Amino acid sequence: MKPGALAYFKPTTVTEAIGLLVDGGMDAKVIAGGQSLVPMLNLRMVAAERLVDVGGIAEMKQWSADDREVWIGACVTHDQIQIGEVADPSNGLMPKVASKIAYQAVRNRGTIGGSLSLADPAADWLTTTAALGATIEWEGPDGKKSCPADEFVFAAYTTQLDISDVLTGVRIPRLPPDATWGTYKLCRKAGEFAHAMAMVISAGARSRAFLGATDGAPIRLMHTETLVADFRNWESGHTALVSQALEADIADSGREFTDIQLWQSRTCLLRSIQMSLGFQPIKPEGV
Amino acid sequence: MTDARTIRFTLNGAPVSVSVMPHETLIEMLSLRLELKGARESCGQGLCGCCTVYVNGKSVSSCLYLAQLVDGANVVTIEGINDGARLDPVQEAFIEVGAFQCGFCTPGFIMMARELLDVHPNPTDDEIRHYLIGNLCRCSAYPEIVEAVKLAARRRAAGTAPALAQELSA
Ligand SMILES: Cc1cc2nc3c(=O)[nH]c(=O)nc-3n(C[C@H](O)[C@H](O)[C@H](O)COP(=O)(O)OP(=O)(O)OC[C@H]3O[C@@H](n4cnc5c(N)ncnc54)[C@H](O)[C@@H]3O)c2cc1C
Ligand code: FES
Ligand code: FES
Repeated sequence: MKPGALAYFKPTTVTEAIGLLVDGGMDAKVIAGGQSLVPMLNLRMVAAERLVDVGGIAEMKQWSADDREVWIGACVTHDQIQIGEVADPSNGLMPKVASKIAYQAVRNRGTIGGSLSLADPAADWLTTTAALGATIEWEGPDGKKSCPADEFVFAAYTTQLDISDVLTGVRIPRLPPDATWGTYKLCRKAGEFAHAMAMVISAGARSRAFLGATDGAPIRLMHTETLVADFRNWESGHTALVSQALEADIADSGREFTDIQLWQSRTCLLRSIQMSLGFQPIKPEGV
Repeated sequence: MTDARTIRFTLNGAPVSVSVMPHETLIEMLSLRLELKGARESCGQGLCGCCTVYVNGKSVSSCLYLAQLVDGANVVTIEGINDGARLDPVQEAFIEVGAFQCGFCTPGFIMMARELLDVHPNPTDDEIRHYLIGNLCRCSAYPEIVEAVKLAARRRAAGTAPALAQELSA
């Protein structure tokens, strides 16, 4: 199937883009890399009469860094992060995550801002920005706004963005140099959206742990964080402890998990924790 | 604004101007308006790599690219990678190794393999597989494809190959 008729605009400033979105109302949509929007238009899962291409807005393609944090413009692509063109605040976590998003042709076009705005629960950047304690920034008819990444998503495909808002960038604090991380996602076919995902970051006596690819926003695992902060090494007895902590975290979240989802999430979490402690998880061939 | 619009861009080294509808994808424009049949639409969802072309020196899935967006850009398709007299070394390697059966997926694989060799001139098997995971071959010629990429890498290293960079600066 093919997209229906639409009008195309390419503004050069954020203010101009917001104006075009306000004029178009419900029928207007932002297009960034088009890697999620064009397939949805092709399948007519989404209808838009007006596309506002933010790819012509220079400031949204930029990034900047100081010794405390890195700011990444919404239109920076997965590939630019993967190849290290953008300063990395995350001791290698972000380039690694970027290299596992979809396929190279998709990474060449898809943007971090597009990924966050769409908020597919399995989007890698949702979990990554939440785990890194990033701040998401956007602008709309009412001015500039921002929030912590772990408060940005309300539910699957539902974020704090209003219909005429433009996500402008992400501010990511630098991890301490000795911070370690581990992440694992479960896909049946390499490059597809994950069925389950976990991410763990440990710095000194503090840890952050998240599950992604759930039925909504990434889930923060507070019990797991407390437990993992005391781990210095991986020992076989840890498996049972992590399983208990994870079950307590899921109960606290109030979210529904089938047995399969629970098993998949636990596998991802165990592998992420092991990886953060210096163990490489089992690597499937060719990935 | 929902009418056809004329866009101008460079296609395989030559300037072209084409009238396109705002909802038209790049693959539709290339195959239906410009009669270039090498890149082909198969899944239309970014899953198979059969429609891979270069826009401004980077591989893209042309089924996920609105045609209007190439206004002013440099587009290269499989038809544009030979030098007029000789096939590209990656094309030659695919033929020599027999890295296909029906050939439907081959243009996409060749475009992606060329970009892979620009990034990893001497790729490992893992690097080849990782770079090409977005390309599907229903005939499952994967072992031969990996061999062809390695042969092309050796040919390029021996200096018999034009790099993508040269072609773009031309
Ligand atoms: C085959 C395939 C596999 C994929 N696998 C993965 C995967 O494993 N992991 C993963 O994370 N992603 C995956 N993706 C999605 C990919 O990462 C997309 O690039 C991303 O989700 C959307 O980014 P985009 O720039 O292409 O956005 P677009 O497709 O242009 O836009 C997506 C949505 O966000 C809105 N939007 C875009 N930018 C902004 C902005 N700045 N402000 C406000 N709204 C905006 C649009 O209106 C639209 O609704 C996959 C995509 C494909 C085609
Ligand atoms: S047709 Fe474009 S990726 Fe399959
Ligand atoms: S050769 Fe037939 S699909 Fe690859």
